[in-house]
Amino acid sequence: MINRPNTPTAAEAVLWAFASGLFAWTLGNPLPAIAHGVQLTHQTLEAVEVQALFDNGDPISNAQITVYAPTDPETPWQEGTADKNGRFLFAPDPSLAGNWAVRVRQAGHGAILNVAIAPGPSPEAAVAPPDATGVPEVAPSSQTLSVRSPSVNPLPTGLAIASGVWGFVGTALFFSRFNGNGRGGPRKKEDSVA
Amino acid sequence: MKKNLIILTLLAGVIPTLLMGCERDGTAITSTPEPVALESNPPATLGTETASGETGMLQIVANGEDFVRDGFTSKDGWEINFNHVYVNLAEVTAYQTDPPYNPESGSPLNPKQQVQLDGVKTVDLTATPENPSPVLAEVPAPPGQYNALSWKMVKGTEGPGAGSSLIMDGTAEKDGQTIAFVLKVEREMAFTCGEFIGDQRKGMVSPGSQGQLEATFHFDHLFGDADAPADDEINVKALGFEPIAAIASGDQVNMTSTELQQALTPADYQTLQNLLPSLGHVGEGHCQESASS
Repeated sequence: MINRPNTPTAAEAVLWAFASGLFAWTLGNPLPAIAHGVQLTHQTLEAVEVQALFDNGDPISNAQITVYAPTDPETPWQEGTADKNGRFLFAPDPSLAGNWAVRVRQAGHGAILNVAIAPGPSPEAAVAPPDATGVPEVAPSSQTLSVRSPSVNPLPTGLAIASGVWGFVGTALFFSRFNGNGRGGPRKKEDSVA
Repeated sequence: MKKNLIILTLLAGVIPTLLMGCERDGTAITSTPEPVALESNPPATLGTETASGETGMLQIVANGEDFVRDGFTSKDGWEINFNHVYVNLAEVTAYQTDPPYNPESGSPLNPKQQVQLDGVKTVDLTATPENPSPVLAEVPAPPGQYNALSWKMVKGTEGPGAGSSLIMDGTAEKDGQTIAFVLKVEREMAFTCGEFIGDQRKGMVSPGSQGQLEATFHFDHLFGDADAPADDEINVKALGFEPIAAIASGDQVNMTSTELQQALTPADYQTLQNLLPSLGHVGEGHCQESASS
């Protein structure tokens, strides 16, 4: 008959403490992606859909689209091409209130549509805040692709270290307890065999 | 005692794990996507804002396009070249409107600022290489975006355009036949147009700088364009040159509108009358023709 030990061995205690600390450290510090790490994020923006039609109702397929922000009527804010149905979608920066001009051209035909955009709640709430030069950082799209760097928050690391230290302290207390009352210590092989 | 030790050890691992899990969740909730700035987003700059009462300059030009300068082939195969195309322009006025004027909406033009040229200007749209677009005027203008333009085509009282609002003087060739033509349009028209539409936006005037506006005339609307498909709207609606060639006498045509009305079939004359209001444009932008006589 085999007798199960009533107390863990020293090796088991050290291993347990080390494992618990390592486990906590691993959860708190996920390894960074090695390669090809991408992250897709999205933000919901209000968009304007333009549809370009000829007088007879035919769509102006693949029309050239140029969008001008009200703050700079001479420099295109966004350029693109309408789809086969003459549709084009863009998301104006709500922090730039005023008339957004959408120029549609194809083979000698052209028109300009002015879209009035009312002031947004606030630039901070709407999209990314402008930088010092007033350049909007938001992409004029309903989706953006961003690559993020790993978290540098020190709290997970601190907790992992603390848990590891606590494990070792517990182990030391374990041994000091056995040394104090004359029991314990490394057990002999025969201790576990009846 | 063993149980207490196990519990303490477990707590050493579980508690930090729970705390870190909460912290990670908090980060995810409070963080916002990091937008990637696109290079196509231009820097925002002051556009129509003015800091002072300084004025700039506004240049207004008339443009008959390459159809008039270089010639073209009509929808029915006549090679048309112009010697002169005279137009008499009056009350040429540039506007800053708010809201932007749309000639196809039927809404009135609401000017906030306007600059008007005095007198009647007679220009020849068959410009030279050195002067591809005749300049009507360069005038001081308050800063801002001039997003509308109007003008009248009136019968001239003197000079080469006298008695007509539009004179087309040229030759047409087809299958070895050459017809010299002079077509004198007496009808007076008024065009009210929105913003210029072309490769670049026009009409921006800043203090100390010059903007430009353009009164554009589309003569392919009258005769059609062989380079465009036969079923293109421009050709379907155009008169072509064949009806003009059919009334030629001695390989030449020199007629006023009144004479054309008598010589052309009623349908062809009506087609011509229907097309004249479509001459006026601002680049590719359309105009509303509002007065005829």
